[in-house]
Amino acid sequence: MAKFFIDDRAVEVKEGTTILRAAEEVGIPIPHFCYHPAFAPEGSCRMCLVEIEGLPKLELACSTVVREGMKVHTKSPRVIEARQAVLEFLLAEHPLDCPICDKAGECKLQDYFEAYGLFESQFKEVKERRDKKVPISKNLILDRERCILCTRCVRFLDEITATRDAGVLHRGIHSEIGIYESEFIDNNYAGNLAELCPVGAITDTDFRFKTRTWFLEKKASICPLCSRGCNILIDWLPGFPRIPTTQRVFRIRARENPDVNKFWICDFGRYGYRYLDEDRQEKILLKKGGKDTELSWEKARLYLVEKIKSLLFMKKRSRLAVILHTWLTNEELFLAHKIFRQGLGLENIYIVDPPAGKGDGFLLTEERTPNSRGAREIGFSAVPLDLESLATTTDILLLFGSFLESRFSLADIQRAFDRIRTKVLLTPHKSGLDGLVDIVIPTLLVAEKEGSLTNVAGRVQTFTPALDNGGGLPEWKILLELAKELRVNYKYFWQLDSPLAVRREMAREIPFFK
Amino acid sequence: MEEKILTKDFGVKNLFEIEVYLKQGGYKAVEKALTRMKPAEILEEVKKANLRGRGGAGFPAGVKWGFVPQNVGRPKYLCVNADEGEPGTFKDRYIMTHNPHLLIEGIIITSYCVGIHQAFIYIRGEYEAIAQRLERGIGEAGKKGYLGSNILGSGFDLDIVVHRGAGAYICGEETALLESLEGKRGHPRLKPPFPASVGLFQCPTVINNVETLANVPFIILHGAEWFVSRGLPKDGGTRIFGVSGMVKKPGIYELPLGTSLKRIIFDLAGGMKDGKKLKAVIPGGMSAPLLKADEIDIPMDFDSLVQVGSMLGSAAVIVIDEETPILEVLRSVAKFYSHESCGQCTPCRIGTSWVYKIVQRIARGQGEKDDIDTIIRLAENIKGKTLCPMGDAAALPILSICRKFRDELEACLAG
Amino acid sequence: MARYPKKEAALLPILHLVQREKGWISPAEERFIASLMGIKPMKVREVATFYTMILRRPPAKYHLQVCSNLTCSLLGAGTLIEYLKEKLGIAPGETTPDGKFSLTTVECLGACEQAPCLMVNFDYHGNLDKEKIDKLIASLE
Repeated sequence: MAKFFIDDRAVEVKEGTTILRAAEEVGIPIPHFCYHPAFAPEGSCRMCLVEIEGLPKLELACSTVVREGMKVHTKSPRVIEARQAVLEFLLAEHPLDCPICDKAGECKLQDYFEAYGLFESQFKEVKERRDKKVPISKNLILDRERCILCTRCVRFLDEITATRDAGVLHRGIHSEIGIYESEFIDNNYAGNLAELCPVGAITDTDFRFKTRTWFLEKKASICPLCSRGCNILIDWLPGFPRIPTTQRVFRIRARENPDVNKFWICDFGRYGYRYLDEDRQEKILLKKGGKDTELSWEKARLYLVEKIKSLLFMKKRSRLAVILHTWLTNEELFLAHKIFRQGLGLENIYIVDPPAGKGDGFLLTEERTPNSRGAREIGFSAVPLDLESLATTTDILLLFGSFLESRFSLADIQRAFDRIRTKVLLTPHKSGLDGLVDIVIPTLLVAEKEGSLTNVAGRVQTFTPALDNGGGLPEWKILLELAKELRVNYKYFWQLDSPLAVRREMAREIPFFK
Repeated sequence: MEEKILTKDFGVKNLFEIEVYLKQGGYKAVEKALTRMKPAEILEEVKKANLRGRGGAGFPAGVKWGFVPQNVGRPKYLCVNADEGEPGTFKDRYIMTHNPHLLIEGIIITSYCVGIHQAFIYIRGEYEAIAQRLERGIGEAGKKGYLGSNILGSGFDLDIVVHRGAGAYICGEETALLESLEGKRGHPRLKPPFPASVGLFQCPTVINNVETLANVPFIILHGAEWFVSRGLPKDGGTRIFGVSGMVKKPGIYELPLGTSLKRIIFDLAGGMKDGKKLKAVIPGGMSAPLLKADEIDIPMDFDSLVQVGSMLGSAAVIVIDEETPILEVLRSVAKFYSHESCGQCTPCRIGTSWVYKIVQRIARGQGEKDDIDTIIRLAENIKGKTLCPMGDAAALPILSICRKFRDELEACLAG
Repeated sequence: MARYPKKEAALLPILHLVQREKGWISPAEERFIASLMGIKPMKVREVATFYTMILRRPPAKYHLQVCSNLTCSLLGAGTLIEYLKEKLGIAPGETTPDGKFSLTTVECLGACEQAPCLMVNFDYHGNLDKEKIDKLIASLE
């Protein structure tokens, strides 16, 4: 450990820590552009210069290692002057694009100017003119006038994806970032570049010109599109009074987690957020005699409970079948297991998930659901679903999710469903199954719920709602109320009232979740 | 008349051919060093000789060699800095043209001392003819057994590769030279770590200027004391001064360290050309802040020049006359650094170009009254804040011109 | 490539060699060098665009590189550049229509004792004045 002084505060850090990291640890921010914790220090932006007592020149915080007894000043007049000098240089050749630049509101140049600058421009010359709309990948556009040559993008493509697509061309003031001819950056992580760029030089066409960052709420969640469980931020628009919003979720960004996804998310997860808003189920509908009747949850619950109770009364509980999926949270799967397998002793419990895809060797897994590991740890095993046998052995089917449609043809499903007396569909999305069931209950997505998921490596990650729910119900709530109404081990279930409570039970009963 | 060391035999015809060089007593220093001296002895001798770098920085060569760690399990390298890009400098061109074998001898002895088995001569691309002459000399030396394996039966191997640059002043900066040699853009590296421990391909590397190495054979032959006596106690030996500009006899002048600048210009170089009057002198290559006409009564050695706010640098003396507008000088300086900036770090990349744009605007007759203050402020913002010494090399001359000739510059402004 | 501890170090010498043969480094040459060395063409271009002497447009037969740095300026390089512009009818950066001469201004060539000077391809010519330039141009076939 090394003890040193920063702004007259004594601090102890591990040997080998740089001044910038040490300062971060104690909550003293040191401005920087080219430094990024994922890469080795670059030292070219010169924004992180700090004053070290005893040394004549200012030194870089990003690359200078703390030594015992070192005295560092991050707010002395010399340091502030140096920061203003760097800002002045950058702004001298930077276009006045703020009004049309997507990065406004989350731009480091703006932030630092506000914190350390606020001076009038003394630049009377003609700024360098460069290309402003250079497509460098399917989704990314490079604006060379805004680029401050921090080279984070080049280093990302060199060190993280190792695809070496970008480089620095020419020399001096004419230096610019480029790709080779029109050979687009073409990997599953290109989207990270727009986040990585500290200014608006790399923008994402998926987000370009759509809204302003300060209109968006950013909330933490977990990406459910594969079993990696990358930590994400969802940028969504709460909206304005009297102005109808056409879009709710505008962007997904990476959230740092050194144990799961480090600083990155893949493009599959980044751009695949439309499922949050599109084709959502809106109301509980009872479909009888060609008519759709909207029900309240109480009425729907009554309907379900009556149907199941009568089956239990006739000692025909084995004719109740449940189809689950692994987008459900640990808590929900645990409840399902407790109620249906242990409580009611059902045999016909299946898991139907969307088909697997190709993994990319980094973050994206083959499994395209977030919780198949969780399902396994809870005790579910992969039982193949045969529609024929389902049709002949089932009177009541509780179908969670609409993934059945991605595994079987609608015609086959219809044939099977025609022989099942009561079909209940609990799903967040509209699908072709809607017309084949008796009652549709809208449920919530991971981003709208509270709970936990187990990723491919066995890491349990908890999350809270990032988005308001659109009138659907979380599955854990549905299952708890069903359990209580059906009097399945009432004493056990009556005291459970939240995912947190369920999680405590899980920790007690299953060693994996301790 | 001062005794010449390095340039003594320059007048000998075909000195660049090894047979002629040998007749003049060539390669005796290599023989002495490799067969009768130990590397540690050589290091001591060079340290005692106070041989300071002749490329610009003036760092003591012996001390630099001493920083190289021995026994690290990685090969060590020597890079000869023959990039000679500092404006006003042409001395290394003379050494390599007229006496390439002297340089080769210096390389061999230095490599033997530090334990280096592959040396690279990084020579600027424009010196193509000289590069060929060096390659020829290396071939000759190899045939005579002065290069290759087991040189003179000493068990020491050495191979020299001539590597051409391609027109980038920044590659004269030692870490940019390493980057360029490694096949990359010439972007200087952060220091620490220093090349002596982490250099070429991450291995310990010594980088020395041509003239510095050319002195080594003489230190070996005549000893450190002799070398020191030819110069000053703290700066041993002679310097080859390159005088150019508005003088009658531009050219190289080998003189002891401590020779008066006034004498160099008015006595040895024949004084001002065409009866012009002296306005200013750049004493050590463009990166050295300039001196006014009344400041030239000064001994040319490292410390004396530092004391007046300039530097000995590459000992390139550029003489400027009264009729040359100082704005032209400022324009040359600003243009050079903005063209040669590698572009890596913010202050130099943008600052040098900004200063040049202002100077160009003043030259077009559109200067405004706070322009000189702005230039000074920008240069102060570049100074001390850049990744490599070129920031200071750009800022300090610009500051010296703006401060010492402020009135003349102000007169160029319109508003 | 074998002369260097790491083959990537040979990039600059290879660029020189290819340029000597082909005159300039075109995208085709970049790809050729890239595949020869087992590196990406982007890397070749990064290096090629950094160095002034690596040409990225077809050169003329005689590339006149006139030093415009301090000493040469002091001794009249400016006037000589204007003279050459007039004589050849091109501005710095351009090539004569017959492809014979191209003109560029360069920084210090390291021949300041012969200022003003220029380099034709790789040959130095110093102590220039209008007469010497006339002679030089005439001698270049």
